[in-house]
Amino acid sequence: MSRRDPFLQVRNLQKAYLLGRFVLPVLRGCSLNIDEGEFVAIMGSSGSGKSTLLHIAGALDTPDRGTVSFEGHDVFAMPASGRDRLRNQVFGFVFQFYHLLPELNILENVLLPAMVGSSVLGWFSRRAAARAAAEEMIEQVGLTGRIKHRPNELSGGERQRVAIARALVNRPRILLADEPTGNLDTTTGRGILTLLKRLSEQGQTIVLVTHDASVAAGAHRTVTLVDGQIRSHAAGGPAKAADSVAPSS
Amino acid sequence: MYKLFLCLRYLFKRRIAFFAIASVWLCSAMVLIVISVMGGFLDLVKARSRGLLGDLVMENSALQGFPFYQEFIDELKRDMPDEIAEATPVILNYGLIRFPNGNITKPVQVVGIRLEETYRVNDFRQGLFFDRYYPGTTMLAPQQVPVLGLDPAGKLVLPPELEAAHAEWRKTATPEDLERAKKQKGAFFDGPGLFYSANWAEEGRTAPGWAQDELPGLISGIDICAKRLPDGDYERYYPRGYQVLLTLLPITPRGTLVDSSPPKVAFRLVDDSSTGVYDIDSLSVYVDFDIIQEYLLMNAQQPEDGPPIPARATQVQIKAKEGVDPYETRDRIRARWDRFMAAHLDQTSEPQLLAEVEIKTWEEKQAKFIQAVEKEKVLVTILFCIISLVAVLLVGCIFYMIVQQKTRDIGIVKSVGATYAGVASIFLMYGAAVGVVGGILGMVTGAIFVHYINDIQDLLTRVHPNLQVWSPEVYTFSRIPNVVKGLDMAVIFAVAILASMAGAVVAATKAARVWPVEALRYE
Repeated sequence: MSRRDPFLQVRNLQKAYLLGRFVLPVLRGCSLNIDEGEFVAIMGSSGSGKSTLLHIAGALDTPDRGTVSFEGHDVFAMPASGRDRLRNQVFGFVFQFYHLLPELNILENVLLPAMVGSSVLGWFSRRAAARAAAEEMIEQVGLTGRIKHRPNELSGGERQRVAIARALVNRPRILLADEPTGNLDTTTGRGILTLLKRLSEQGQTIVLVTHDASVAAGAHRTVTLVDGQIRSHAAGGPAKAADSVAPSS
Repeated sequence: MYKLFLCLRYLFKRRIAFFAIASVWLCSAMVLIVISVMGGFLDLVKARSRGLLGDLVMENSALQGFPFYQEFIDELKRDMPDEIAEATPVILNYGLIRFPNGNITKPVQVVGIRLEETYRVNDFRQGLFFDRYYPGTTMLAPQQVPVLGLDPAGKLVLPPELEAAHAEWRKTATPEDLERAKKQKGAFFDGPGLFYSANWAEEGRTAPGWAQDELPGLISGIDICAKRLPDGDYERYYPRGYQVLLTLLPITPRGTLVDSSPPKVAFRLVDDSSTGVYDIDSLSVYVDFDIIQEYLLMNAQQPEDGPPIPARATQVQIKAKEGVDPYETRDRIRARWDRFMAAHLDQTSEPQLLAEVEIKTWEEKQAKFIQAVEKEKVLVTILFCIISLVAVLLVGCIFYMIVQQKTRDIGIVKSVGATYAGVASIFLMYGAAVGVVGGILGMVTGAIFVHYINDIQDLLTRVHPNLQVWSPEVYTFSRIPNVVKGLDMAVIFAVAILASMAGAVVAATKAARVWPVEALRYE
C-alpha cells in the first residue's frame, strides 16, 4: 500500500436487481473512503441500498459498475480465490440474523473461519492456537460458560455476540456489521453496541449498517444513503473528500 | 479442514443422509451377492469341469468309440513322460438301471472306468461316500456283500477289512469330519453308511463277514440312489452291496444295435458318487471298464469270417503334469495323434472312427457351458448395476434436497472465505462418506448373506417348498456357491464410493455456484 492509497475505497458503485421484468436500481454511484481504525455507520431507510453497499464492500456481492479497493488493490479485479481469501482474512461479517451454523456448537461456529483458512494438515499444527483465539473471543463477548451450547440454545443477543466472536476470530482488518442490533431488543442491542465501541477503541475498523440513529451515534462518522446515493455525513468527523454527496432534491 | 469437519457433521446430523446410506448399503450388498453367487457358480463350473474330465480329453462324437486307444495311451506315457501324468480310457454308453426291491427302473449313462487310473486323472475319488469313510475298500471288481455282525463284546461291527479301513480314516479325520460322519449314520450301526445285517436266524451265524454271490461293483450317482434332504445331506435308500440290474445297449463298430436282446447284468452297489453336478449325479453309474467293454462288445474280437476288430473306448482322459500348459500339450498330442492315426488307418474297418477323434482341453470341452455362464454373469451384473443407478439417483436427489436446505449455511461458509472448490468438495466428501458407510455395511451384509445363503434357502424351503430359489435341476450344482472374493468386495466398495460421489456431483456443483449474498438472503 502506498501512502496515498485509502484503507478501503468504494468508487462510483452501481448495482441494480432484476425483479421479474423490472430493473430496480439499488446503488446509483456511491463512493466512500474508510480509514483504518475508523468506525463508520451507514444509515438509511429500508431499501436505500445500505446492506447492498456493505455486501459489495465486503466482496460478498459484485457491483454492476464501480470499484472497491482494499489498500489500493481492486477487489473485483482479483481472482475469485483472492476475494475468498479477503473474506477469510480481511473482512469479518456480522449479520442481522446472526447466520450461525445450527449443527455446530458455539466454539465450533467461532472456529469456522480459522478452519476455512487451514488445510487438514495445517489445522493440526494451528488447532491449539486457533482454539485459544476462539476461546478468547468468546470470553470477550462474555459467553465462556456457553461454549458447548448450540445456537438454538442461546438468546438473540447471545447469538449476535457469537457472530461477532466468529467475525473477529481471524483478527480481520475490517468488521462489517449489517444491522447487528436490528433483530434485538433495546437493552440487548445496547450491549452489542457497547461491545462494538470497545472493539473500535481497541483500533478495530468497523463499518456498521443501521437504520437506527441511536446506534449510529456511537460511530466516528455517519454516512446516510438515500435511494442508492450518499446524501450526507454527520457526527464525529468531517466528510471525506472522496465521499460523494448527492444534492438534496 | 472445514470440508472434512462439515462433511462428517452433516453425515451424522442429517437424518436424511441415512436414506442415502441405506440405498448404497442395499445396492452394494445386492451386487456383491449377485457377483459372488454367479462368480462362484462360474468357478464351480470350471473347477468341476476340470475335476470331472482331467486336463485333456480325447474323443470322437460316435457312441461306438474309437480303436487303438490303449496303444496311443501307452505311446503318450512312454514318449511324453514330462507332460503326461496319467491317461485312462473311458466308455460312455446308455442303459437302464433297475432296483429290484422297489421295482424302480431309471435311464442312466453307463460310464466304464478303470478306478485306480481315474483316481489319478480327475477328482472322482473325492466324491465317493464309502471310499471316504472306508478308504481303499471301494472296488469295481466282482465282490460279495459286506454284512454286519456281532463282535465278542456283543457290539455290531463290519467285516475286519472295513473296520480296519474305517479305523485308519478315523486316525486322520478332523473333528468336523467325525461330526459329519455321525450325521451319515446308517440303521443299526454307529458308523457311516447303510449295511446289511446278518440274518442270524436263517444263517445261524453272528459274526460279521461277506455274503451272497460275487458280482461286479457299480458306483451310482448320488441322486439316483438317494434322496436329497433340505439340509443338503442325503438319505440313502440302499445298503452297500445291494444288487441292481443294468440293461445295456451294445453297439457295433458300424453304429448299429447288436441284433441279440440287450444284456441284463447284475451288479452290486458298492458306493455312490457326488460330483456336485446334478446332471451327472442324477444320470451316471460307473462300472469297471473291462467288464462293461465286454458286455458292450467293445472289446477286441476275432470274427470267423473277417479281420480282427480292435477294442474300442469312447474317451481318453489325460492328466497333465503340474505346471504343464494344457494347450501346448494338446497341440503336441494332436500332432502325435495325426501320425499315430495315419499309421493305423489301414488296421481298422471303420477308419472314420479314428479320423473324427478330437483332442480338447477341459475348457474347450465345456466351452459352451462356461461361456454361457460367463455371459449370464455379465448380464446379471449389468442388470443389477443398472438397478444400482437408482441408488445413485436417490443419492443425487437427497443431496440436492440437502443443498436446498443448507443454502444459507453454504452462504455463511462462503462469507467466511470458503472457495468454490471447497464448498463443492464438502458435498463430494459427503457423498464419498455416504459411499464408505453404505459400502462397508453393504459388504458386511452381503458377505454374511452369501456365507449363509444355503442355510437361508434351506430355512425358506422348510417354510414352503415353493420358496426354494436355487434348483439343482436348473443350475446343475446341488448347493448355492457361497464364497465371497476379496477382489470383488474391493471393486464393489470402490464403485459404491465413486457412485455416491457421482450422485453428489450435481448437488456439489449447485452448492459451489451459490453466490454468498444470495444464499444469506435465502429463506
